[in-house]
Amino acid sequence: MPQRRVLIVDDALFMRNTLRDIFTTAGFAVAGEADDGVQAVNLFRELKPDLVTMDIVMPYKSGIDATREIVQHDPGAVVIMCSALGQESLVMEAIEAGATDFIVKPFRGEDVLAVVKKVLGE
Amino acid sequence: MAEAPHKYLHAFIAEATEHLEQLASELVRIEQEPPGGPLWDSIFRRVHSVKGSAATIGLKTIVDIAHVAETLIAKLKAQRRRPERMQVDLLLQATDALVREVQHASGGERAKEDRADTGTLVERLSVASSALPDAAPAPAARPAKKVEADPNLPRLDVTFSLIKACQAPGARALIVQRKLKSAGTLLEMEPQPGSLMQKKGGARVTAVLATARSVDEVRALFDGIPEVEGVAVRPSPPANAPPPEPAAALSARTLTTFPEGAPLEEPRADATVRVRAQALDQLLDQAAEVLHGIARMREAARHLPEKVAAQFEAEIDRLRRTARDLHGRVMNARLTPFYTLTERLPRAIRDLAHRLGKEVELEVQGGAVELDRTVIEALADPLTHLVRNAVDHGLETGAQRLAVGKSGRGLLVLSARRERDKVLVEVSDDGAGFDAARLRRRAIDMGLLSSEKVAELSEQQSYELAFLPGLSTRAEATDLSGRGVGLDAVKSAVEGLGGKISLRSAAGKGSRFTLELPLSVSMANLLLVQVGGEMYGLPMTRIVATTEYDLSARGGEGFEARSLAVMGQLVRAYSLAKLFGLPSLAPPGPRPFAVLEVDGITFALSVDRLVGQEEAVLKPLFPPLDRIRGLAGTTVLGNGRPLLVLDPRGLHELAEVGQRLRGAA
Repeated sequence: MPQRRVLIVDDALFMRNTLRDIFTTAGFAVAGEADDGVQAVNLFRELKPDLVTMDIVMPYKSGIDATREIVQHDPGAVVIMCSALGQESLVMEAIEAGATDFIVKPFRGEDVLAVVKKVLGE
Repeated sequence: MAEAPHKYLHAFIAEATEHLEQLASELVRIEQEPPGGPLWDSIFRRVHSVKGSAATIGLKTIVDIAHVAETLIAKLKAQRRRPERMQVDLLLQATDALVREVQHASGGERAKEDRADTGTLVERLSVASSALPDAAPAPAARPAKKVEADPNLPRLDVTFSLIKACQAPGARALIVQRKLKSAGTLLEMEPQPGSLMQKKGGARVTAVLATARSVDEVRALFDGIPEVEGVAVRPSPPANAPPPEPAAALSARTLTTFPEGAPLEEPRADATVRVRAQALDQLLDQAAEVLHGIARMREAARHLPEKVAAQFEAEIDRLRRTARDLHGRVMNARLTPFYTLTERLPRAIRDLAHRLGKEVELEVQGGAVELDRTVIEALADPLTHLVRNAVDHGLETGAQRLAVGKSGRGLLVLSARRERDKVLVEVSDDGAGFDAARLRRRAIDMGLLSSEKVAELSEQQSYELAFLPGLSTRAEATDLSGRGVGLDAVKSAVEGLGGKISLRSAAGKGSRFTLELPLSVSMANLLLVQVGGEMYGLPMTRIVATTEYDLSARGGEGFEARSLAVMGQLVRAYSLAKLFGLPSLAPPGPRPFAVLEVDGITFALSVDRLVGQEEAVLKPLFPPLDRIRGLAGTTVLGNGRPLLVLDPRGLHELAEVGQRLRGAA
């Protein structure tokens, strides 16, 4: 199986680093990282990753709007929302906007990978 | 507990510090900004970002403060008015507190008073935000639109559960709903995703789908969805199908009531499957095996170099939590309702009462209260014994009852109720009650207690004498309640389950036995001891203390039974090796003792070595071991070795018997 490519979107460097570690340790390739919604949409078009992890609250363009644009551009896009506790209504909004699935912070590496693998059908 | 700092702690501190600096200046500006402006977005995002990262590292205090601050900010932003000065002051204080916590996370000192201040601050922030209306009022549950579908399309009943750990059940159900809608027309879904929001702890969802797809295809839709379990898909029965048969009704004579705390769930044919009891036993054994395996891995991890050991142990701990959760779930699946014990009783009681020329009415309460199957099975004999005892000896004949102004028909009540992690089972009758004076006399006659001791007993304490071995065994035992099976046997059966039994009685009014039982018996915390080269387990629940004593200083090794001073009290000491006829391999000198308490009697057991503590899954004894007094069960240790678990009550009896025999010789 070719290596899966991930686009990590989060405005916190700390979260991006943590997610990058989780994915690279599990054998994924991190295709790119974005720290706001605008950059996320641009990088998605450019990199065509297999998977996007998407923060919700970000500057310039929220993760929900970015997801909506990404899914409009590619209906098969796999976008996993990274939400925090207490954001359930935002997650539901993101799902209606086309997000594939979600994870809730604080998460552990295995939680993230369990959702990702399930969603990718691995 | 010293944990290795998070790999990206420095990144967090740098980012958080920057966010908090900006936050402070933005909060100062916010009072001049137009209400609901973009500055609020930035303020919210900063606090939110700090919260999310802190949660990932596990910095709870930061999460707590940021969470309440975030809630207040969201409400202030939504109200589209200028914030009050007090509200901004609070948010600035929250920012200061966050800065302090971040400094602390980077290794800085934390002043003692900070912790208390944090609690007050969190409280004040939540008070301030609860005074404001909700930022986004919960969307009113949309009335379920009547969805129409092609009447010729087959209907499928779909049921699934959201796992208990699911953090966002509304969102999860929404994903399932979307998946189902992609495969056909979703006619019903109950509960709706919106009403599952923030309802943690798992949920069962049912849906009806009109679809041309097969059952297997619909089931396969769930393959890519996490946090969903127990998926069942089946063709809907036609609308005019007969209702399913009701569960077999209990005997008409048996009144079954369901007290609070034991709600009987609406029985739903599709929500349960029949599982062979044996399969559940095997599952439990295997879950226990997994726990043992993990214990062995922990043991092995001790030999790892220190560097890797910590991480390995952390992983093992996580695995152990999961395994314990699994074990708990299997235990839950083994729960059996109390009525399985009582359903055979009405007939037995009726037959017995008729032979004795009595009329007895049986009332069962709390039939739906559940206990572990092991407890239920072990309870069958003691409960039958108590019931027969009540009919045989407790309840009077119709004539006797009428003579003392009671109704001619005796009442026997069996009840079960749940109290926290215990189940209380009561057997009460409105018969003649126990005769306290007679019990006292017998105790003296049989040499069980001195007349001085007996004179000190209160009325209620005298009733407890009925549990002494031999006392309640009637010499002229009827063939009905059995010869030689006394209340002491009932008591030891209940205690063998880790439970307690007590008796209340009032002359002429009746008596009540209360059995306090654990929900399950299989996990036990053991003190491991070594004697004569063999290892044994003693239940920690009975251990009062461990101590060391040098007996050689008091007359050599060959002691039979002596007294020791333990915590200012003189207690009998016995040698476990002697009780089991094993050689003691302990070197001369101070010897370890386990001090135990049974029935209010404290005694000490000498052993060769105290090995340690272990949590173990108990298995019942198999024949012929079950006949040996002093043994309670078996288990397998973390290192794979089998272990006999001792029964302190039996050991004490064994020791007493031995002593009496020696006394007589």
